[in-house]
Amino acid sequence: MWQQIKEALAQSTARFLTRFADLLPGIAALIVAVLLSIIVGLILAAIVRRLLASVKFDQRLSRWGFPGLAEWSPSSSPTLLVSRALASLVIVAGFLIGLAAFDAEWTSLLARSIFAYIPNILGAALVLLFGNVIARFIARTVLIGAVNLNLHYARFLSVGVKWLVIVLTVAMALEHLKIAPGIVELAFGILFGGIVLALALAVGLGSKDLVSKSLERDAQKASGEKMEEPFRHI
Amino acid sequence: MEVEPIPQQVRDKIEQIETADLVVGVLPELDPKSFAMVCDTLRALSGAARIAVLRDDHAATPAAANSDAVETSAFPHVVPWPLLTPDASGTPILSISSAYQSVFAACERLGARACCVIASKLDTPSPEWIRQFARPLLEEDVDLVLPYYARHKFEGLLNSSIIAPLTRSLYGKRIHNPMGPDLGISRRLFQKMLAAERSANRVHPLAYLTPAALCDNLVVCEVFLGARIYPPTDWTNISSIVAQVLSPIFLDMERNAACWQRMRASTSVAAVGDPVLVSQDAGTVDISRLVESFHLGNRDLQEIWGLVLPPSTLVELRKLSRLPLEQFHMPDDLWVRIVYDFALGHRLRTINRDHLLRSMTPLYLAWVASYARDLESSSTAGLEQRLERLSAVYESGKPYLVSRWRWPDRFNP
Repeated sequence: MWQQIKEALAQSTARFLTRFADLLPGIAALIVAVLLSIIVGLILAAIVRRLLASVKFDQRLSRWGFPGLAEWSPSSSPTLLVSRALASLVIVAGFLIGLAAFDAEWTSLLARSIFAYIPNILGAALVLLFGNVIARFIARTVLIGAVNLNLHYARFLSVGVKWLVIVLTVAMALEHLKIAPGIVELAFGILFGGIVLALALAVGLGSKDLVSKSLERDAQKASGEKMEEPFRHI
Repeated sequence: MEVEPIPQQVRDKIEQIETADLVVGVLPELDPKSFAMVCDTLRALSGAARIAVLRDDHAATPAAANSDAVETSAFPHVVPWPLLTPDASGTPILSISSAYQSVFAACERLGARACCVIASKLDTPSPEWIRQFARPLLEEDVDLVLPYYARHKFEGLLNSSIIAPLTRSLYGKRIHNPMGPDLGISRRLFQKMLAAERSANRVHPLAYLTPAALCDNLVVCEVFLGARIYPPTDWTNISSIVAQVLSPIFLDMERNAACWQRMRASTSVAAVGDPVLVSQDAGTVDISRLVESFHLGNRDLQEIWGLVLPPSTLVELRKLSRLPLEQFHMPDDLWVRIVYDFALGHRLRTINRDHLLRSMTPLYLAWVASYARDLESSSTAGLEQRLERLSAVYESGKPYLVSRWRWPDRFNP
């Protein structure tokens, strides 16, 4: 019996060592892939950093309406954020390539499904970026227009419009990412409707004076009274 | 080369005239008697000049507009022409620009020596002023004839606050209405404008002509006219007007930077005719709405103003917002620095240009309120002194503009 136990142990050890030896090339490939991707990532990050510094990316971003991005960035530099994000992406890609080197089915499937998801992530990132830019532009347009119309709730209107566009953008991005589509659709509908209702109430209630002044002016015009408006600009 | 395509319905009429020495474009609707007076005055110009008068076909009688034949034997030749777009009220600056382009098209086609554009209705029209406009162009080789309107104190505020003193400070000539809109232009200047259009983006005639003439040392003179009739203010549209007027001016500043940075002190230009005096209205004006606009802008637009104005200016604006209505006063040097900073912001595209100019509206209204308080019970002499003081501040502030223009990142007080 002792002989049989020894034989069983010897066989299982041999099987383990054989399996481990089979994995060694894959592990070596993974380590090499990660190391190479780190080197490539660092080189790419340095190139991108120089390129963005030469076009004064940080200042331009602030002018385009993204001053808050500097607060999230390491050393308050969006250039560093972009270069480090790019380097991280390259390292993750290297890791996935290394994973695919294992001849195990589950690692190949994992790597393949992650690669297949990357276009969705890129699409969602683009939607978020453009949505943000558009939201800020529209918010600024509404703010300036409302201030010039002497509307006291100009800032509220501007923030409301901005959040409308951002909520729409986030919902579109989440749909791209295929994250809980049913729940996102419902939540978006409720939120969007709520914001629109709040804006409509604010505009309706806040414009009472404006509307009554406008009606008063029309009535004065109809009765032929001269409007007191001495200023002529051009 | 044609500036604008000539409408088919007027092409045949132009062909019948063949050539002209002077083309006169009449934009406002004149009653037949006034129009006849214009034609009589032009007929009396010496030198038997051939003159073509373009009249907006919305203003012409239906019979004249539909007539196929131009009265070739009649002198001057009258041509009905669609000079103004039907919906001119919403965008007056743009529609008058296209009217100018139409006059230039006719001028080019007819090979004229000069052209005049009559765009205003005057308070007390006299036939003499049209002759005063045309004569320097035909007889004295003047390149640009500009109007010098008699003014009421609360009229032409954009011109008084920005256009005239800025032109004076930049180009060194004391011109009272650099953007007309009534103008007389020689062929030399008109062709210069065409060349600029061909090589660069579309230029705005009203903003382009005076700086171009001054930078090239062309001959410029002014003509004394009566008071102009201004259209009533549409409060919902002021920011559009500010943006439409200032945009071509700031673009021209960018184009002519090499020229105006060399100019130093200003000098007067020759004037034709006698000054026309007008009585000024006495009594108070209500500036509360203007000040309210400024307070709202100061509360909500700080973030945008902060992208364009230096911290010292923002501090002064905050102090101004704390003043009570009876003491509200925007100093001229503050206003001048604001104008210069916005011109620089426009050049650097700090934010979207349309947003930039529209956000300037509350600051402009604050200046108007301040100006109105200064001139409440002022006479014409007081008005002229007030505007002269403002112009002097524009000139003394020019080194500030030049420094910020050349070193926008380094010089930021």
